[in-house]
Amino acid sequence: MKRLISAAFLSLALIASAAAQDDPNPNSPSPVLLGSADAGRVLAVEPGAFSGRLPKTAKTAFNAGRDSEAVLFLRRLRLLEGEGANAFRVYLKQPSGRTFELTSEEILPTGRDVIALRIRLWDIAGYRGQPTDSGDSWIYVTWRGMASNPLKIALGTQGGKAGPPPDFAAATAPNTPDFVGYRWSADRTRFLEQATFGPLTAVDDRVRRIGLRTWLAEQFEAPYPYIPLPDPPQMPTTPPTDCQAGTNPTCFRERYSMVPLQQWFFREAFYGNAQLRHRTAWALSQILVTSGLTTQQSSHAIAYHKILYDGAFGNYRYLLGDVTLSPTMGNYLDMVRSTKNNPNENYPREILQLFSIGLFELNQDGTQRLDGQGRPIPTFDQTIINDLARVFTGWTYCNTQSCGNATPGIVNYKDPMVLIPANHDLGAKTLLSYPGAAVTSIAACTDCTTDAAILAYANRSLKDALNNIFGHPNVGPFIGKLLIQHMVTSDPSPAYVSRVAAAFNNNGSGVRGDMKAVIRAILLDPEARGDVKTAPRYGKLREPVQIVTNLGRLFPAKAYNGIDPSDGGVSSYVAAMGQNPFYSPTVFNYFLPDHTIPGTTINAPEFELLNSGTAVKRTNFLYVLGFEGLTANATDALRGTSLDYSEMVPIAQGDPTGGQLVDALNTKMMHGTMTPAHRSLILSAVQAVAATDPTLRVKTAVYLIAASSQYQVQK
Amino acid sequence: MCRSAAALSMTALATQSGYFNGMSALAQRSVKQPAGDAVPADYRALVCIFLLGGNDGNNLIVPNHNDANVSNYAAYSAARATQGLALPQASLLPITVPRIGGLTYGMHPAMGTVTGGINPGLHPLWATGKMAALTNVGTLVRPMTRAEYQNGTVPRPRQLFSHTDQSNQQMNANAGEVTMSGWGGRMSDKMSASNNPGRLVPTVNSIAGERLFTIGEQLMPLAIGPAPTPLSSILALTGTTGTAAANARYAALNGGFGLTSSNELETASNAVHREALVIAGSLNNSTDVTVAFPNTSIGNQLKQIARLIKNRTALSMNRQIFFCTLDGFDTHSGQLNAQTGLFTQLSQACRAFYDEMTAQSLGSKVTQFTLSDFGRTFNPAGSGVNVGSDHAWANHSLVIGDSVIGGDFYGMNTNNGTPFPTLVQNGPDDADMGGTARGRWIPTTGVEQYAATLAKWFGLEQADMSYVFPNLSNFSQTDLGFMLP
Repeated sequence: MKRLISAAFLSLALIASAAAQDDPNPNSPSPVLLGSADAGRVLAVEPGAFSGRLPKTAKTAFNAGRDSEAVLFLRRLRLLEGEGANAFRVYLKQPSGRTFELTSEEILPTGRDVIALRIRLWDIAGYRGQPTDSGDSWIYVTWRGMASNPLKIALGTQGGKAGPPPDFAAATAPNTPDFVGYRWSADRTRFLEQATFGPLTAVDDRVRRIGLRTWLAEQFEAPYPYIPLPDPPQMPTTPPTDCQAGTNPTCFRERYSMVPLQQWFFREAFYGNAQLRHRTAWALSQILVTSGLTTQQSSHAIAYHKILYDGAFGNYRYLLGDVTLSPTMGNYLDMVRSTKNNPNENYPREILQLFSIGLFELNQDGTQRLDGQGRPIPTFDQTIINDLARVFTGWTYCNTQSCGNATPGIVNYKDPMVLIPANHDLGAKTLLSYPGAAVTSIAACTDCTTDAAILAYANRSLKDALNNIFGHPNVGPFIGKLLIQHMVTSDPSPAYVSRVAAAFNNNGSGVRGDMKAVIRAILLDPEARGDVKTAPRYGKLREPVQIVTNLGRLFPAKAYNGIDPSDGGVSSYVAAMGQNPFYSPTVFNYFLPDHTIPGTTINAPEFELLNSGTAVKRTNFLYVLGFEGLTANATDALRGTSLDYSEMVPIAQGDPTGGQLVDALNTKMMHGTMTPAHRSLILSAVQAVAATDPTLRVKTAVYLIAASSQYQVQK
Repeated sequence: MCRSAAALSMTALATQSGYFNGMSALAQRSVKQPAGDAVPADYRALVCIFLLGGNDGNNLIVPNHNDANVSNYAAYSAARATQGLALPQASLLPITVPRIGGLTYGMHPAMGTVTGGINPGLHPLWATGKMAALTNVGTLVRPMTRAEYQNGTVPRPRQLFSHTDQSNQQMNANAGEVTMSGWGGRMSDKMSASNNPGRLVPTVNSIAGERLFTIGEQLMPLAIGPAPTPLSSILALTGTTGTAAANARYAALNGGFGLTSSNELETASNAVHREALVIAGSLNNSTDVTVAFPNTSIGNQLKQIARLIKNRTALSMNRQIFFCTLDGFDTHSGQLNAQTGLFTQLSQACRAFYDEMTAQSLGSKVTQFTLSDFGRTFNPAGSGVNVGSDHAWANHSLVIGDSVIGGDFYGMNTNNGTPFPTLVQNGPDDADMGGTARGRWIPTTGVEQYAATLAKWFGLEQADMSYVFPNLSNFSQTDLGFMLP
């Protein structure tokens, strides 16, 4: 106990700005759907029959339909301010096997200890058809990632083949309530999967001691990067004779290829301390996308990545500005070539569609606003693109002496772009129009007779245009939801998006766009936190980069020889699984945020990378990494990579049954969610390995867990 | 031989349970057994080559004549030469167009014989009547005039000029809606049971991921990687050495993918893994092609497709739909070099595929066709070496095969009485208006008209057309006549 106290003092001494704290219980209770007297059926009435009191009898059967509504009742839950109907998602599983997400409309006032939820018996999107009057179906509600009890509801008539109820029982998560700080050990593991590139025992210990908020505060200030960034020179128009791709491939690779950045990225993920910044910058690189397909040198891509990690905990407005004037982005989306005689539409379209507001007007909770006919409302049209294109004219690479990195004969990809006044459009422009917009147009320049005057006008116009975009009400929900999807869960509830958007809109001190507030809101939200999440669509498929980095932290990554550090040369393996780092195939990233799993209505972006071919590639990668190690090669992995199982081997050695090993890995890798059936499968494979080879037993168990869908879905 | 144990057990699994019968956890991925329609006697395949990014069709097919009654080379050159985007007339590969009075048009020079090429490219297939062009085709809810486009009296496709939306509409052939299925997948829904009753792989195979085109309302595609990886090892597991420990590990792995879960993401992931392990067994003894393919992305994708076709009998396939992609057409800048490189890859790979089909005696049984996000502005973006073009709308597509009535343009006539657009900014075919109009051609032919013509040849029943192409009844002509029966 004394040691613990001194550890707490030590952390207090280290963190002047924030004190260690005992975080509140993170667990949200499972919602409970009230049944009627007829056991197993939901208590539901038509809105017209609801008097404000809990009804005594339920309506026998409802009809599916756009205009068909019902009121359901949930046992009272302590709701957060602003947590309304959009915190609840209502699902209907029909005898056809199809699951529909019904529209959750409104919480009605009640006089009792219940929540009355008015719903519409109609799918929210209708992408896979609509529910039908096909007899008994199962209805259930999710809230903050927790599923309610399923109950029967009759559509059309009672009876039929509803099938067995969906089973949301989850394996219980272990909890070690013996420390101050953040005691919920399973949720700590989940938290570290969301906030870092994988849990690490030392980091887990620290979070346990100082709590989540303090750890976040510490991470916001943590020095970054831990592994020094490579600083290769920019390639001249023609590479020097002693560093050509053909004759000196090693020199060329180390100086002029994307390999140094890729290797650094993985080493920083394996070994770095400022994990939250690294993870956030990686997420941002998949939102504000540039690609090695165009930006082929590490020196260029590193200059761009610096913008992302510098801006990761800054203000999104500055990030938008820095990205806009980045020569790497300028080259990728053609702003560097956009002139008043030939305004280019590429950047203006994508800054709106992908980097800020998206295609359709959104409510604060990220759902689409609809017009009188129920149609989504476009945020912009071609005329806005045309005008915005003219705002963005005239900037190009800085090759004058005024820029520190300008070198004769080398295109400057390091310093922000500069304006060529003669190329800037001087006409009037119309900007986005929305409630609360401060500036919605730019007047033609009336005094642009000198370069200095044009420069001032252009900079003012750029600032006005970016402020106009940044001020749009869509930005908070749009960017907030993307970051939630990258870190926590693919299909967050609208209420969760709304809470994060609220943090974007106002960090509590009246500042809009504060990324620290956004990240704090994402990671501390009750939908992110809690020991175990039972909602059937909760979580996200681990992207290939996570597969390798998570394992490389759980079982510390070493070189192929098992002694030296890894060189981070794993990109070719990750690329084979569909995600070559910093080589997005297009500006739309490796996967689309609204990707739906084929054949379903499940929104799950990372599934765009999973098909028969890549599924086998994932499994085979885990075999090679886990059993054999990635061998060194002269191309991009001078030392190779392997996993260090030394923490697990003694456990395997100490228990010939293998049970303790599997249980330890269940805690470490799955935060205690392994089902008994899964455990027994893995145990049988472990027992087929001689007890005298504990290392092989560990490899077998780690491989089987890592390859399983139960692990591959981070939840 | 490290695959044998797993391959054996996977074959056993496939035989024992029939195709996908053991995979009911995700109903959508499982496949129903035949309904009883007659199985066709012949084999047919459609191969979709999607040009990602929006190909500039204005430089794929260029007027190469001086007839002033329709847009001629001078009209083309006047708009594109100053900024450096016009192809020199002498470089064009001539094609004669009977539909426009026998006038000569020209294909991009990279579509013919090229330096370092391994075959003569696609251009010679025009003269032999094995390649046709669909001109001014694009996404439409229903046909619309320029005035109707401007005054909004006819519904426009959702989000014109946006990559994701427009490429999705090319793939779903339903420009008015966001849908979760594409027209290749929906054809598979209607035809798999009757045409491929004993199939060991899904009807739709993609070498470029599970893109919207390949996804049905009921049935899913098979997505595998390209050549050079042989089919026999493309889905093979590593480490299946046949020892007792390896067999136990394989059993646990496979068993794990069979566990039920209350989490729907896990269920979906399990279904993908199980399907892969079953199909791996079916692909175990595959034979290779004989014609040389270029070692490019699209070359290796088409090579893998040619291998799947070569193994069609072993896989019990009578009708197959394939999907592959060539990326890089979003040429806002640097278009001249980029498009030359891309057309070279396209032409060399498609020609190799055509020759391979001839070698397999399937020239008239397999049809290749192109789709792309959209066309690009006739008015260039930028100038000089950086010249490019921006997002636009209607475009030209190519159809290749011995069942194509080739050597001509197809599609509905534009205002000028030919199927080729009037190459004038702010002219009768331009969606843009006024002095800054950039030449975004309004399509005169809908994607579904083009697609329905292919689908009819492929054997889709007339009664199923409205399921696959929900807006087809908005168009007067549903067979554009470019395919033999």
